[in-house]
Amino acid sequence: MTTPLPERYIAATVKHLPADLQADVHAELAASIDDAVEAHIDQGEERETAERVVLTELGDPAVLAASYVDRPLQLIGPRYYLAWWRVLKLLLIIVPTVFFVLVAGGHFLAGSPLGEIIGESLATGLSAFVHVGFWVTLVFATMDRTGFETGETWDIDQLPEPRKEHPGSQELVPSLVFLGLMLVALAWDQLRGFVQHNQEAIPVLNPELWPWAMLGLLAIIALEIGFAILLFVRGRWSTPLAMTNTILAVLFFSWAITLLARGELFSAEIIELALSNGATPDALYIMGVILGLGVGIICAWDSADGWVKSCRAGSSKVTEQQPATTQ
Amino acid sequence: MVEEVEPHLQELRRGTVVLACLQLLCTPGYGYGLLEDLQSAGFATEANTLYPLLRRLEKQGHLTSHWDTGESRPRKFYQTSKQGIYLAQAMHSEWQTLSEAIDSLGDDPLTNEEK
Repeated sequence: MTTPLPERYIAATVKHLPADLQADVHAELAASIDDAVEAHIDQGEERETAERVVLTELGDPAVLAASYVDRPLQLIGPRYYLAWWRVLKLLLIIVPTVFFVLVAGGHFLAGSPLGEIIGESLATGLSAFVHVGFWVTLVFATMDRTGFETGETWDIDQLPEPRKEHPGSQELVPSLVFLGLMLVALAWDQLRGFVQHNQEAIPVLNPELWPWAMLGLLAIIALEIGFAILLFVRGRWSTPLAMTNTILAVLFFSWAITLLARGELFSAEIIELALSNGATPDALYIMGVILGLGVGIICAWDSADGWVKSCRAGSSKVTEQQPATTQ
Repeated sequence: MVEEVEPHLQELRRGTVVLACLQLLCTPGYGYGLLEDLQSAGFATEANTLYPLLRRLEKQGHLTSHWDTGESRPRKFYQTSKQGIYLAQAMHSEWQTLSEAIDSLGDDPLTNEEK
């Protein structure tokens, strides 16, 4: 004999509930359904028909369970929908295009036949499209469900000047393109080599950096990408964002300077090549110092830029409030 | 016509069920019994909104509950708490204010149309 309908219905409902609620909801729902079924039987219905009517009125068990625990029945709620849509649109344009162009360029340089160039770059572009859609949505859905606070509530000062774009988007696109190119350059350097000498590919960066130092660099790049997106979502600079930006700059600076100072940044082959082409060790040393200073200046400028922008974002609020306080 | 009107009516009714529950449950009641009471009092309520609503109000402290195992089948009884009575009073006076505000708008739109 099969399990009676009400029992099956209740089981289907409570299995979606947290364990501590299950017994209580089970007992209460059983009593409520029995009451309703009996009321229908009193009006002259068969038990089976009455059960069907009562349970049909209660509706989908999963929906009932969701409303018992206030579980959202949407993937991304109104709080994040617009941010999700903006980021998704931008990335869906940028990332597949970049991949398409890079793969096509790579195959073209490698002298692949036209059919292969088109096929490979289309396939890569498409798969980038699917990946972007999936991961961006996953991140936003997780943020929505875990109640992640962006720490930003809308206020009137955020209204953009009519001619300006969404704040952060001017920075998002170049950042992502730059970081993407950096990743590609890294991969190209290590796998194919930029410099050809005697028909041999010579990597610029030391291959012995793999795995730890290289993974560290990749992690920093990943954090930078995350930061660019976070900045875009929040729409304006703030003190915590400027602080994070500085930390990332310091991380990158330490990475580069440590390896440069230890003489581990560049591959032995490229230094040998430079020496054999007439560069003196002194000249190489000076170039190293200039490079180190350059990295330092760029990092300092990037970090300062963040603070200036966050101060500007903060002071625009203060000046707006001043008329009220002077009265 | 009905399809355009119904969502607006539902919007108006939303919230009144909470008030009705809090007032009816000043004397303890259980799920299905309350559903029938609400319907006979003129509040069209579905079982699948009422049962979760009772639990939510209990969680918020507006209702208290206990299991009554004395009768033929054990039932969970709810009763309006002090906090719930306070909420009911606040909602009731808000309803009255709204009702007066609507009255102050003038005559029934229908009677105006007929003139």
